[in-house]
Amino acid sequence: MCGIAGRILNAPGAVGRDLVELMDAQAHRGADSTGFAIYGEPRDSGYIVRAMGFDRNNLSKDLEDFRAILKDQGGDFIDEPTWDNGSSAHYSVRMTVTDPKDVERWTEAADKICERLEMQSVGRSLEIIKDTGGAYEVADKHGVRDMIGTHGLGHARLATESDVRPNASHPFWARPFPDVAIVHNGQITDYYSWRNRLEHKGYRFLTYNDSELIAVWVSDRMKEGLSMEQALSRSIDEIDGVFTFMISRPDKIGFAKDRFAMKPLVVINENGEIAAATEEQSVRRVYEDEGVSIINYDGPSLQGIWGVGNRRAAA
Amino acid sequence: MSVQPKVGNTKDVVIEVGKRPVREVHQDILAAANAGKSIVVTNTLSRHNLGVGLPPGCKVRFEGSVGYYCGGLNTGAVIEIERNAGWGCGEAMSDGHITIGGYAGMSVGAAMLGGTIHVKGDSGPRAGVAMKGGNIVVEGKIGYQSGFMAHGGKIIALGGAGTSCADALWEGEVWVTGDIDDLGVDAVVTEPTAEQVAEVDAILDPLGLKDTSRDWRRIVAGQRLWYFESRDARAWLMI
Repeated sequence: MCGIAGRILNAPGAVGRDLVELMDAQAHRGADSTGFAIYGEPRDSGYIVRAMGFDRNNLSKDLEDFRAILKDQGGDFIDEPTWDNGSSAHYSVRMTVTDPKDVERWTEAADKICERLEMQSVGRSLEIIKDTGGAYEVADKHGVRDMIGTHGLGHARLATESDVRPNASHPFWARPFPDVAIVHNGQITDYYSWRNRLEHKGYRFLTYNDSELIAVWVSDRMKEGLSMEQALSRSIDEIDGVFTFMISRPDKIGFAKDRFAMKPLVVINENGEIAAATEEQSVRRVYEDEGVSIINYDGPSLQGIWGVGNRRAAA
Repeated sequence: MSVQPKVGNTKDVVIEVGKRPVREVHQDILAAANAGKSIVVTNTLSRHNLGVGLPPGCKVRFEGSVGYYCGGLNTGAVIEIERNAGWGCGEAMSDGHITIGGYAGMSVGAAMLGGTIHVKGDSGPRAGVAMKGGNIVVEGKIGYQSGFMAHGGKIIALGGAGTSCADALWEGEVWVTGDIDDLGVDAVVTEPTAEQVAEVDAILDPLGLKDTSRDWRRIVAGQRLWYFESRDARAWLMI
């Protein structure tokens, strides 16, 4: 039992603040960790990297090594990295980097030090922030409420089949596809057979979390030429288990629900703006007015895509 | 025609939910019920566990929508929900009456033993899952796999049924007017007798829903799955 949420605004705004509220209302669904994927104003070039280091005492060395790998791949830091000033051993760092020659190769190279510093998102606009603790705790530590953007995802995790660790929290980045993230509520029962097949195709997974798998699964299908709609539809037919997941890209958020209708999804679609969550009381944090109607996606084998409109603030 | 139970009058006690702890709200409801008052609960914000385990004689109206398990374990209270109810509304209730003005989420009336649940809109998947008695009346359409493993009682749908209707039914009955998307495993459609229809009309009459012109389909178990005591291995391969 996890809690998931999605939010789309018609123009760049306080999407971080809204997602924090959506997740706080679902804190009881997952006390282990909370995470957010937020799409800010897109860069024309260069990437924003969010990463997690596991020993704060080694921070400088970790960043130095990370930079050396990046330079080796044809990129460099644009601004000086910034990090949280929490007291935990692990730390979160935000970097902006120039375009490396090949994102896939760079990701593979950078993952050589993933036991010390793990990349959690790479994107022109995507930033994934996740940590152990509840929504407010994570928001306070990482300044999530101040994050401005057009859309994003949230997740409260109740760990079932993999570790409780800050980096095993959701959302997951669809490594190595820039700007793709996922949140998921459920269990994938044929996880290992799909993981095997995807690993044979060259994909790498840093956790044993089934959600990380779905993100890559959908992205791989899209790389092969399917539309997101087709990929979501295939996921319902081909992936075994009970699930509701939302997958985000720069221009849309899609969702899919399994054949057995075991996991909830409640959506408010108001003037093109979307608030989606596992529970109705969550979306009511954003739209308290009962006059705003709710769509319950309770049935089996459902999917949908919500587009994101104006991604840049008015000039 | 008798009148459907109604709650709420000018002498109501008004209890606000908002962000208060549900335990506190519940204590207020019980105190007002013990004082013999009708209760109106406002600003419900789809919160969970409202009105769980209410006793006989208690009359509560929830203004707005409620979250999960509202009216669960009801032992005789009359509960009215103005709008939508979340998952598990009326779960394991043994008596009483619950009216839902809008949509009822997944598993409305799950494992209920008695009493009546009246849904004015549609209901989600698995209405009446594993119910053992009582009645669920849905004016709209019942969702996927409604009546799943129902041991007893009746689900009455006036607006059709979703896929996998009445899957793996035991001794419960699913009555449908309107389209059925498809039947679940071992579900069999039968023509009801006049006597059986009269029984259903007697349930609908107090709700103001009786209509003798309806074309009913009564769905019961084909009993192909009732092999749990069988020692014949072939029986276990029937699905």
